[in-house]
Amino acid sequence: MALHTLTINAHQLEFQLPTNAPFTDIEYEAGGKNLIPLGCRVGACGACLIKVTSGIEALNPRDDDEEAFIEVLGYSGEEYRLACQCLLRGEVAIDIIG
Amino acid sequence: MLNRVKNVGYGDTTPFLNAAGSVNLRAEIDKIIDVQVEQWYATVPQAAHLEGKDVNSEYYKRHLIETAWRIRLLRVAEAKALVEVAKVSPAAAQIWAHYEQEEMLHDELFVDDLKRVGVSREEFLATEPYLSTKLLAGFFSYLLDHEGPLGVIAYSYLVEYVNVKLEPRKLEALKASVGDTKIVGQVSHSHTDINDDHPGEVWAALRFLIKGEQDIAALKRYLEEHQKILAMYFSELYINTLAKPQDKAA
Repeated sequence: MALHTLTINAHQLEFQLPTNAPFTDIEYEAGGKNLIPLGCRVGACGACLIKVTSGIEALNPRDDDEEAFIEVLGYSGEEYRLACQCLLRGEVAIDIIG
Repeated sequence: MLNRVKNVGYGDTTPFLNAAGSVNLRAEIDKIIDVQVEQWYATVPQAAHLEGKDVNSEYYKRHLIETAWRIRLLRVAEAKALVEVAKVSPAAAQIWAHYEQEEMLHDELFVDDLKRVGVSREEFLATEPYLSTKLLAGFFSYLLDHEGPLGVIAYSYLVEYVNVKLEPRKLEALKASVGDTKIVGQVSHSHTDINDDHPGEVWAALRFLIKGEQDIAALKRYLEEHQKILAMYFSELYINTLAKPQDKAA
């Protein structure tokens, strides 16, 4: 089973997650700490907005709904994502905006 | 002052299985189900009937009727399961609710396919479900009352895993035997399971309900028990439609 590293820049923390693990798993890997501020977990509230600083190609692509909502939140560019919609498929580093 | 509130899923939310442990257990469970499927084909009478070239019309229609009934009956117990899951894991409850939202009305897809082969809604509604179908619904109620929701969620994992793996093959066969315009509802049902990764979704809920090794052992037993009840159903279906008089006597 392949494990990939997700780095949260602000906390200087790295997590090892299997392929296609959702970013919401971070809460459980961190012993319940809400490192990424998760709200609805279905891409509707915007609480978990992040900026991908490296490894964007190692994520599942944004769908139209996610892209449109992020623009509503005032951000444009493919590096902005809703963490709850992200699946890890390689090495990725993120900044937390939400 | 003492806070007497409980059963709300607060406290340590760290699952017993971390992300990697969850993937490993799922792989182990999938292998167990693969063996169960092999046993299924080897022991259940006419288990592959719907994958064959000549499909018996009565067998096919009754299978659709029971499938629609099963969805109708189980959605009641599965809604009750949401209550029990929410008490122990809000995260699992959210996933389960989403899964149920997508599945809950799929009985209509099967009722529509029944119409396509000449069985009206009235005929469907006038057909009482098999005892095995009722027993499955009853087993769910027993589980929720006396063992917890794990067994109910485990059933969905078993069904979703098997559906995604085997249903495309069966549907390809039915396109030839029954006709591709007659199985539109079943194709749509299968699309949902595959496109929305229903096995993955149910597993994500299941993971939060596994609190220790005992639950892992229980999960494995639930898979066996569900398979036994489903085998009862397919035996009942066989006896009722395909079996010759001497087979019925046996």
